Amino acid sequence: MRRMVPGKRESLIIQMRRGTLEYCVLALLRDQPRYGFDLVRSLAQADGLVTSEGTIYPLLGRLRRDGLVTTAWHESPSGPPRRYYQLTAEGGRALALFTTEWDRFTDAVDRLLRQGDNP
Amino acid sequence: MTTEADALVLRYLQDLESQLGDLPANRRQELLDEVAEHITAARATLDPETEAGVRSLLERLGDPADIAAEARDRFGVPAEPARPTPWLEVIALVALVIPFLGWVVGVVLVWLSRLWTTRDKLIGTLGGMSWLVAGLGTLSMSAQGSTAVGSGPLGPTEMSLVEVVLFLAPFLLPVVAAIYLGFRLRAHGHTPQAVR
Repeated sequence: MRRMVPGKRESLIIQMRRGTLEYCVLALLRDQPRYGFDLVRSLAQADGLVTSEGTIYPLLGRLRRDGLVTTAWHESPSGPPRRYYQLTAEGGRALALFTTEWDRFTDAVDRLLRQGDNP
Repeated sequence: MTTEADALVLRYLQDLESQLGDLPANRRQELLDEVAEHITAARATLDPETEAGVRSLLERLGDPADIAAEARDRFGVPAEPARPTPWLEVIALVALVIPFLGWVVGVVLVWLSRLWTTRDKLIGTLGGMSWLVAGLGTLSMSAQGSTAVGSGPLGPTEMSLVEVVLFLAPFLLPVVAAIYLGFRLRAHGHTPQAVR
C-alpha cells in the first residue's frame, strides 16, 4: 500500500477519469440497483477506470448527496442485508444528458485525432 | 486464521477512520459503514478464506489515505455556508424609513454595519435626512404663521408639480435610500468577502 506520484500517463488517465467516472457509476445503475461490492467490482473490470476500489465510496456518497442516487436495504441470500444503490429520476436525466454530450464530444475529438491519418 | 484476518480488517478500518478525521462525523460514519460492508461482501466470496486472500482484498480496496483524500476531494469544498440573516442591517433599513427618531436609530445602525461601504452609508444617511429637512420646513412654515395652511383648502389643483415633488420627496427619499441599501446588501452577500 504505497502512494505513488503519478507519472505522465497516470496523470492523463486521472484527468480523463475525473469527469467520467460518476457517469460510469450511474450507467451501471441504469438497469438495476446494485450493492456496493458488486458495483465496485463491475467498475474495476473496466480497464483503467478504478485503481483503488475504496475510492468509489466517497463518489457514491457525493452522488447520494446530490440526489442522483439513493440507497435501500435488501435482504441478501447469504449474510446480513445489503445496502443497494439505485438511480433516481434525476440521476437518470443526468446520465441521459451526459450520454448525448459524450457522443458529440468523442465524435469531435475522434475527428480531430484522425485528421492526420487522412490528408 | 479467521482471527488474524479479522485483525487485518479491524486495523484497516481503524486506519481509515483516523484518516477521515477531518470529515463531518456523519459523513465519516457512512463511509466507514460502506467500506466495512464492502469488506464483508468481498470476504463472503473467498472460499476458503485465507489471510492472503483478505490481504489482497484490502490491497484492492486501496490505501486508506487514498480513500480519505478522495473523500476530502468530493466533500472537502464546503457547501456554501448559509449566510445568517443580517438582522442589524434589516432593522437599520426599517428604522431608516420611520420619521425622526427612527431615522436617528437607522443611521446609527447603518454606520455600525460592516456590510456597507462608506459611500452606501452616506447615501443612506442623506436619503433619510430629508425627514429632517421636511421637519424644519414644517416648523418654519408654522413659525411664519398658519395663513397659507390654515385658510382655504390646499387642493391638488392648487399645487404645482414642483410643490408636489417637494411635498412627496421627504416621504419617498428615505424609502428609496432604504431600497438602495437593501440591494447593496444583497449584492454584497455574493462577494467572496464572506469566506472566513
